[in-house]
Amino acid sequence: MHQDAHEFLNYLLNELVDILEKESQAAKSDHETSPPEKIANGPKIALANGAQKEPLVTWVHKNFQGILPNETRCVRCETVTARDETFFDLSLDIEQNSSITSCLKNFSSTETLNAEDKLFCDKCCSLQEAQKRMKIKKPPHILVIHLKRCKYTEQLGRYKKLSYRVVFPLVLKLSNTVEDADAEYSLFSVVVHVGSGPNHGHYVSLVKSHNHGHYVSLVKSHNHWLFFDDENVEMIDESAVQTFFGSAQEYSSNTDHGYILFYERLAAGSTS
Amino acid sequence: MINNNNNINGSMSPSSTNAQSQGLKTYFKTPEGRYKLHCEKTHPAGLLPFAHGKSITQITLAHLKDKPAQAALPPSSSYSASSGVRFVAAKILGGGGNGGRALSFVGGNGTSKANGGTSRSGSLGGLNGSNSMVNSNFDGKGTYLIFNVGDTLYISDFNSQDKDPIKSIHFSISNPICHAFDSEAKDGHDLLIGLNTGDVYSVSLRQQLQDVGKKLVGAHHYNKDGSINNSRCTSISWIPEHDGAFVVAHADGNLYGYEKCKDGTGDSSFPVIKDQTQFTVAHAKSSKSNPTARWHICQGSINSIAFSTDGKYLATVGRDGYLRVFDYSNEQLICGGKSYYGALLCCAWSADGKYILTGGEDDLVQVWSMEDRKVVAWGEGHNSWVSGVAFDPYWSPPSSEDVGENVVYRFGSVGQDTQLLLWDLAMDEIVVPLRRCPPGGSPTFSNGSQSAHWDSVIPVGTLQPAPSMRDVPKLSPLVAHRVHSEPLSGLSFTQESVLTACQEGHVKFWMRPGQSESQPSNSDALLSSSLKEKTLLPGRVGGSSYKLSNSS
Repeated sequence: MHQDAHEFLNYLLNELVDILEKESQAAKSDHETSPPEKIANGPKIALANGAQKEPLVTWVHKNFQGILPNETRCVRCETVTARDETFFDLSLDIEQNSSITSCLKNFSSTETLNAEDKLFCDKCCSLQEAQKRMKIKKPPHILVIHLKRCKYTEQLGRYKKLSYRVVFPLVLKLSNTVEDADAEYSLFSVVVHVGSGPNHGHYVSLVKSHNHGHYVSLVKSHNHWLFFDDENVEMIDESAVQTFFGSAQEYSSNTDHGYILFYERLAAGSTS
Repeated sequence: MINNNNNINGSMSPSSTNAQSQGLKTYFKTPEGRYKLHCEKTHPAGLLPFAHGKSITQITLAHLKDKPAQAALPPSSSYSASSGVRFVAAKILGGGGNGGRALSFVGGNGTSKANGGTSRSGSLGGLNGSNSMVNSNFDGKGTYLIFNVGDTLYISDFNSQDKDPIKSIHFSISNPICHAFDSEAKDGHDLLIGLNTGDVYSVSLRQQLQDVGKKLVGAHHYNKDGSINNSRCTSISWIPEHDGAFVVAHADGNLYGYEKCKDGTGDSSFPVIKDQTQFTVAHAKSSKSNPTARWHICQGSINSIAFSTDGKYLATVGRDGYLRVFDYSNEQLICGGKSYYGALLCCAWSADGKYILTGGEDDLVQVWSMEDRKVVAWGEGHNSWVSGVAFDPYWSPPSSEDVGENVVYRFGSVGQDTQLLLWDLAMDEIVVPLRRCPPGGSPTFSNGSQSAHWDSVIPVGTLQPAPSMRDVPKLSPLVAHRVHSEPLSGLSFTQESVLTACQEGHVKFWMRPGQSESQPSNSDALLSSSLKEKTLLPGRVGGSSYKLSNSS
C-alpha cells in the first residue's frame, strides 16, 4: 500500500470519479426502466442521456480539472502536434532556492527533444528533433501543485528527499495560459511532509516507508490558518506558513517541507 | 561521491557547504569591467540554528566623522564621556526593561568574554584583537557596517579586511530587526534600532564603540515593552532634512512617527482602528509625548519603507502587495499600485526622486515612475522572491555620446534565489508593448517618456490595480551572479563597492572595476577618476551575463 500523499490524492480523486460515474450509470438505468409518465419529460431526458455519452463531468472535474495541451513541433517540417491532456494536479520539478513561480515557468518553458528523446514525426516518417511545450489551456478552479521532493538518485539506487527551499506566495497568478486574463489564485492549504528520513543522512523512500514519513497540513479557514497534526489542531499565524518553505542548506534541522499546495481561483476582479 | 553521500553522523554537511561555497565565483563581469570579491564580513560561528530564521539580516552603513567637541554631546549629566558612562548607561538600560542583567558586565579591563561557548578560535582572536580599539578614548572615526543576526547586533569596521565584527550588542530575549543611521544627527544619537517586540532604541554609535560591554549603552527607549504597539518592527528610517525625527513601521500595518527630543512621558495612546483597510492618521493627544503620530497604512505587515532623499515623500510596501507613496508632511497618499501578485518586500528611491524600485513575491523588480504615477517596467530575471533593491547612485553612464537627453540609471536587486542582478534603465529604450486594438482605433507604439498615451492620466491619491503581464514593458538584467549560498536579504552601493548580505548574516563586498585592490578609500577624487577611465569595454560580456534587451 502506498503512503505518499500525492499518490493518495490521485487515488482519492480518481476513486471519487469512478464512484460518481457508477452512481450516474445506476441513475441512468433507473431512467430506462422508469414508468412512462417520466418519459413525458422527453426532451430533458434525451438531453441528459445525450450528455452522458460524453465522459461525465463530475464535481471533481469541475473543481480540479485543467487542460494542458502537450504541443510538439518538429524542427524539420515545423508541423505542430497538439494533444489536449487533462490534469488534476501539476507535478513540478524543483530547484534549490527557487519559487513556485519559477518552477511553473520552467514547467511551461519550451523543451527540446533531441538525442535519445527524439520525436517520431508522422510527416517526416522519421525520428526528428522537436520542441515541446506545456502551456495551460484551461486553468482549473482548484490548482493543486505537487513539488517533486522525492527524487530517484542513481548513485544511491534509491529515493532521496529534496529539502530544497521553494517559496510559495499566498497569492499566485498563472500568466502563461492561453486565456486572455491572468488567472489569480489564493493559497488555502498545504500538505507538509515531515522528516528528512531518520538517522541523519540516511535517505529513505518517501513513497513506501511507513515509519519514516509523516504529514501535517495547513488549512486556511475563515481567514485563519489551522495546523493539523494527527489529532492536534492549532491556530497559527499566517507568517508561520513560511517556515515550511524548505532549507537553503542540506543539513538543516528543519525537516518540515511544503509538499502539496492547494490554490483556489479567485473570481476575476476580486482582490484577496 | 558515493562515500560522501553515505557518510552518516551528519558529517556530510560541512563538505556540502564547502562545495556550495566553492561553486561561487569571486568576481562578475559587467560592461564596465570586473567586480571582484574584496572581503567578507560575518559573525562568530556557533549561533544556535533556531536563532536564525526568526530574524533576517539587514545591513546599515554608518560613517562617523571626527569626534565632535564635548559641547556637541548631550547636556545630560549621564553623558560625561568618561569611564563612568558605561555604568550610568547600564543603569538607564536596567531601568528600561532589560532587567538587572544590564548591570552584570564583564571584563572591565578590556578582555570581554566574546562568543560565549563557541569553539572557533579565529573569531575569538578577532574580537579580542579589536578590544584594543574599544576604549573610551577611541574617537570612532570611520565607516562601519551594522548588521543583525538573531538576538545580536554586530558592528564591523568597514575599512578593515577583518572578517569578524569589532563589537556585538546582545538583546537577550528579543531580536533586533531593523536599524538606521544618520551621520548628521546633531545630539549624537545617530543609530536607530527596532526590535521584534516593537521596542525602539536610539543610541550613539560612537558610544557603543567606546564601550566594552555587550549591552546597549546610553539608549533612549521608545515604545517600551511594546506598550504602544507590540507587533514587530519591520523597517525604521530617519526622516531626511528633519533632524531628530524618525518613523518606525510595524508588522500590523501601522507606522509611528517619533521625535527624539520628546521624553515620551505624556499620554501617547491612539484611538482604536475601526476599519483595517482604511488609511488613517492619528496624532498623540499630548504634544510632548512619543510617538507623535500613528499612521494606519494597510491590513497586514508593512514590509519596508523608504524616504525620498529630500524627505518629502515616504514610500511603503507591504503584505497586501501595494506600493504607497505619501507626501509625508501633508500626511497625504499621493499614488501607489499593486504588485503583479503577492506581497512586496522591499523598496528604494532613485537619488533624483523620479523612480521607485520595489521587489516582492512575484519574482519581479518593479520600476515605478513618480511622474507617470504607475509601473513603467518589470525586471524579469530572479528565480525567487526579490528581497532587496537599490539604485546605484555612484554609477555614471559609460559614454556620453549616445546618451544625449536620455537618462540612464543603474540599479541592482538581490533575491532569495541567492542572486545579485544588475540592471540598466534607459527610459527611451523601454518599449510599451503593443496595445490590444481599442475599438475604432489602431494599435500604436509609444515609448516610456510619453507613456501618458498608455493610459489616461491617473488622479492623485488613487491606487492602481495590478497590471496585466502583457501591458508592462520588461527589462532583462545586465548581469546575474550567484553571490551567496543562502537567500539574500540586503543590497547596498558605496563609492567603491557593492555590498550583498544573506539572511544568515554573511556580508560580501564586491569592489567596483578600477578600484585599487589594497585600500578602499573614501576619497571622491580617486573614485571619479577611476570611474571615468573605465569606459565601456565591448565584447567583455561574460558567459553569465545577459545582453540588455527589451523582451515583452
